[in-house]
Amino acid sequence: MHRRGVGLAAFDRKQTTKRFEELSNSISQSQVTHLNNQLAQFRTALTHFASTHRDKIKSDPSFRHAFQQMCTSIGVDPLAGPRKGGWWAELLGLGDWQYELGVQIVDVCVSTRERNGGLIEMAELIRMVSKLRGVSGGSITEDDIVQSIKTLEPLGAGYQVVDISGRKMVRSVVKELDDDQTTILGLAQEHGGRVVEDMLIQRRQWSRERARTALENMLLRDGLCWLDDQDEECGRAYWVTSAMKWEA
Amino acid sequence: MALSTHTTSTGFLLPSIHSAPPFFTQQPNPATEAIVIEQWTKLILSYARHRNLFYLRVEDAETGGDWDEVLRNDRINRRLPPTHLSSILAGMVAKNVATYEPAKQTRSVLLYWRLPEEWAEVLHQWASTTGQMNTIMTFYEITDPPVNSPLTNIPLPLLRKAITILAKSNRAQIIAIADGEGVRFFTPAK
Repeated sequence: MHRRGVGLAAFDRKQTTKRFEELSNSISQSQVTHLNNQLAQFRTALTHFASTHRDKIKSDPSFRHAFQQMCTSIGVDPLAGPRKGGWWAELLGLGDWQYELGVQIVDVCVSTRERNGGLIEMAELIRMVSKLRGVSGGSITEDDIVQSIKTLEPLGAGYQVVDISGRKMVRSVVKELDDDQTTILGLAQEHGGRVVEDMLIQRRQWSRERARTALENMLLRDGLCWLDDQDEECGRAYWVTSAMKWEA
Repeated sequence: MALSTHTTSTGFLLPSIHSAPPFFTQQPNPATEAIVIEQWTKLILSYARHRNLFYLRVEDAETGGDWDEVLRNDRINRRLPPTHLSSILAGMVAKNVATYEPAKQTRSVLLYWRLPEEWAEVLHQWASTTGQMNTIMTFYEITDPPVNSPLTNIPLPLLRKAITILAKSNRAQIIAIADGEGVRFFTPAK
């Protein structure tokens, strides 16, 4: 979906005149008038529809989803427009709703990061966000989460929906400083470069999930350590080469 | 817990990386594995030159033999698995420091710890200094001379390659003889 005013809201801007000028080169004036009228009619109808069903859109996720789908198929971007939150904000007062949900998602992800290393299962995220919102929040669906995460994209915090062997997860990794990696590097220094999951569990009270995720990220994604799959104790050990002592 | 070099019983100095346990594991990160393959390649060629070994087979990783000092490190209880060795061999062939020999299989390579071009020079030089220019020699006389030479035990495929290279610069000629293959070396007319 384009944010830069491809939707109906774009026709409100000054560029409208220019567009019509270009358009009129290929279409006759009467056709242009006709088109203009049709669009105005359509817009009115959509506006009317949205206001009439405002409450339903707010409270019923499947209806909300259907409305979103309809907007997409016509080429209307509910998030575009001059006001923050776009269409939603203008007509339904829902702009804040989207951003509020975004803040709640971030809240849950940050507070569970200790436990899961920045990777949370979709189902659990929904459960915890719903708890935060309470009864009055209405029910939240996976679709709502996905849409909301899209709005978080420009923040550059790395929030992403990922699919790991069939399970949908939400990843929230801070880009610059990964505290978990710093911890692992520290442990590596203490042990001549060798780190295993058990060390992080016993000495830092991490969950196994968090230990595994952090170590695998360092190995595969960041290339910061080497794998030893013949380790006598644990079968799988990670060696941080910068922490290993080499004789010249 | 410093990782150190180690001199083997045959007098070969193993690099300190050979004392690092992860060195024997095939790395899942491609960039890291590229480094691992490069290091193993250097080590293998170096050892081959030291022991005058020409062939390396995937099964050498399993069975005891000439390559044990390198393919295993019993001090840290690690060995190079056949799958990893196979991958390293492929890398060496791609870099033209080895070739699959015999052709059309991928379990055994002929190592070029000296390139065929370099072998050609060594061969020609040896023929010259031993006063055997312009004489017809059998291949056997080259690979099994009475006095040990750099060419002693050179595998026939490699010898043929070297001779072919010399032939291109008019410094050798393959001769068909009664029982086997023969060659004559000469210095090209100036």
